[in-house]
Amino acid sequence: MTLKPGSISELQESLSQSRRVAGVSLEAVAQLIEHVPEDMTATVQAGMSLADFQAHLAKAGQWLPIDPPNPEALTIGKLLANNLNGPRRFGCGTIRDWVIGMAVVLPDGRVIRNGGKVVKNVAGFDLCRLFVGARDTLGIIVEATFKLSPLLEAEAHLAKPCESLGQAEALLDKIWDSDLQPTVLDLHRIDGEQLTLVAGFAGPSADVEAQSGAASALGFADEVSLDYDARFRRTASSFISVAPGKLISTLQDLGDESFVARAGNGVIYHTSAKPTEAPSLELQQRVKEIFDPKGVLAG
Amino acid sequence: MNSKADKKNLTRRLAEIVGEDAVLTDERELVVYECDAYTLQKNLPTAVVLPRSTQEVAAVVRLCAGLDLPIIPRGAGTSLSGGVLAVDGGVIIALTRMNRVLGIDPRNRRALVEAGCVNAWITRDAEEHGLFYAPDPSSQPACTIGGNIATNSGGPHTLKNGVTTNHVLGYEMVLPDGSIEWLGVEPDGGEEVGGYDLRGAGIGSEGMFGVITRALVRLTKAPSAFKTFLGVFDSVDQASQTVSDIIAAGIVPAALEMMDQLITQALEEAYHFGFPLDAGAVLIVELDGLAKGVEQQARLVDEICRRNNASEVRLAKDDAERAALWKCRKRAFGAIGRLSPNYVTQDGVVPRSRLPEIMRFIRSVSDKHRLRIPNVFHAGDGNIHPLILYDERDPDQVKRALQAGDDILSKCIELGGSVTGEHGIGAEKIDFMSRQFAEDDLEAMQQLRRVFDPDKRCNPHKMFPGAKRCAEFAPKKQVVA
Repeated sequence: MTLKPGSISELQESLSQSRRVAGVSLEAVAQLIEHVPEDMTATVQAGMSLADFQAHLAKAGQWLPIDPPNPEALTIGKLLANNLNGPRRFGCGTIRDWVIGMAVVLPDGRVIRNGGKVVKNVAGFDLCRLFVGARDTLGIIVEATFKLSPLLEAEAHLAKPCESLGQAEALLDKIWDSDLQPTVLDLHRIDGEQLTLVAGFAGPSADVEAQSGAASALGFADEVSLDYDARFRRTASSFISVAPGKLISTLQDLGDESFVARAGNGVIYHTSAKPTEAPSLELQQRVKEIFDPKGVLAG
Repeated sequence: MNSKADKKNLTRRLAEIVGEDAVLTDERELVVYECDAYTLQKNLPTAVVLPRSTQEVAAVVRLCAGLDLPIIPRGAGTSLSGGVLAVDGGVIIALTRMNRVLGIDPRNRRALVEAGCVNAWITRDAEEHGLFYAPDPSSQPACTIGGNIATNSGGPHTLKNGVTTNHVLGYEMVLPDGSIEWLGVEPDGGEEVGGYDLRGAGIGSEGMFGVITRALVRLTKAPSAFKTFLGVFDSVDQASQTVSDIIAAGIVPAALEMMDQLITQALEEAYHFGFPLDAGAVLIVELDGLAKGVEQQARLVDEICRRNNASEVRLAKDDAERAALWKCRKRAFGAIGRLSPNYVTQDGVVPRSRLPEIMRFIRSVSDKHRLRIPNVFHAGDGNIHPLILYDERDPDQVKRALQAGDDILSKCIELGGSVTGEHGIGAEKIDFMSRQFAEDDLEAMQQLRRVFDPDKRCNPHKMFPGAKRCAEFAPKKQVVA
């Protein structure tokens, strides 16, 4: 059964009475609770779409620095539960780096808060990080507070077609050892198109100009959009993850298969990728048993 | 562990694991371990062991589990909230002999270190690759990575770079049953780890989940340009407004620190940096990144300082002056000894926009309790560090000092903040937990604790209301790093 509660208390009520829930849709719980631009923080209910949230924040010149595919259709709750991100991950980190507090309805119907609304806070254990990426199997995130960033003053994404993975590797090494500080560093080969390295720069306009200049000396030319990421991940949502230094050798093993890779992070999206398996299995199971002893949340 | 025979037996069995030179049971030696830098509560542990390997740690932990003895992991003991206090005795497992940098991996920008490795050593070893370890608590020449992970340490440069949890990829932990687990990213592994984020959940768990023995940390590319300003203001209000205006202008400095007059005067007397003695407040603003962008932002910061009537905006002229400035800032607590025989360091957080309000409130608390309260703090994060000065020889002053701390932290909660931004709850702030969190919130934290330590034997009597206290609970001089 998928729940569609009209409010947080309705969700509490339903969960406390349910034996098994296949999923929760929170579209009715989608208010912006607070955005305090001077604090660079905002609190939002989990049913709001990421795109709507960003639109609110942009009014005050801020954003949540995360760029997963399809922000119009992605709720804040799913963003957190599935720990999603996009090409800017290399420069901006993941959503775990930006969430500072949340409210969660536990499988027994209790609502708990963890963290807070200040950017630095070590009072109590950090449950926020546990719930991020837990795929709604330990509790349902109903509200989250984020720290924010100023909107980027300037941004440029440049592409360099590569003849081979070897050439791409040499270029990546050059970038790695240079003064460049890319926020995007992607390598992709989609549906037989040419292998392409993408480097993105963001920040003060003077920096972006200077870095773009330095990148063009390495052969980066055309300004490109990053929409290849969303397009490709529609069919390939799974990834494998390796140490960044093992990226190229891993890609070599893929043969001709299409891929989009976060070269700076060592994350490779491709069609036949199998989801990463959890280590410390016994501990993992204990978490589930303790937070959801009756197995209400199927995830 | 009551009888002499029991203790002798424990000493012998610990020595069988770690060797006689790595077991302390003599009271004269144990006294070093009776507290951390929070000295209001003290108690002697039953024993201290100084293991040299993860296997030794695991064997000690298993032995203690068999004897039902508490274990207390400890790094350098620089923590400020009594986090390593042996409240009810038990075996302190000190990681100070496991202090090696095991490897720097420049290609993957990672370092593998033992838990007792000193924070500053990582940057020392990574520097030649143009890399550094970002979190920089003021105690970084002494504090250990294991302790940093346990308390999710911050530092002046966390405004832009984030705190420990943003920079620790994974770590090895000996659980209270003696099993060894690696949580998070493995030394040669990818940064995406399947399953629940137990790594993240364990960071900031204040030594209550297990003994951290090794850590894999993220290294950051060193910025190529810095500009470090000293902004001099007549009043704390003007300086606070400047902080808000810098943030509102869309600038995220690497650090944004404030010191009030009492602090700058004490610092000047101690270190002769050249701080103005008549300034109500001084801001340190550090921008870092690439040369062009830093210049662009520097012009804006200079303008904002002047718009807020800064009487002087001084730019550090070279790396040496910049280093001297930070050395001064990080030794600020040390200079307080010149002002007062005793002091207690508070650590609270408010939303940044409430800084002027909390600073005014601290002044009123200072007046009300007739105690001087200098301030040196991470203004950009809203993380305040009022230092409440008192004289322990005067019992009434001691009482007023404790009450002043309570007033300030209560106000932090009221303003939507937190009672600790980086020092932790430990033994000190237990009573505040039920004021900042609801009962269900605390129960959920206890659920997480049960995952790691169902018997509550690892660093017990901390964090949660209802915990046991030390018999000796008397305010003493607090030395702070």
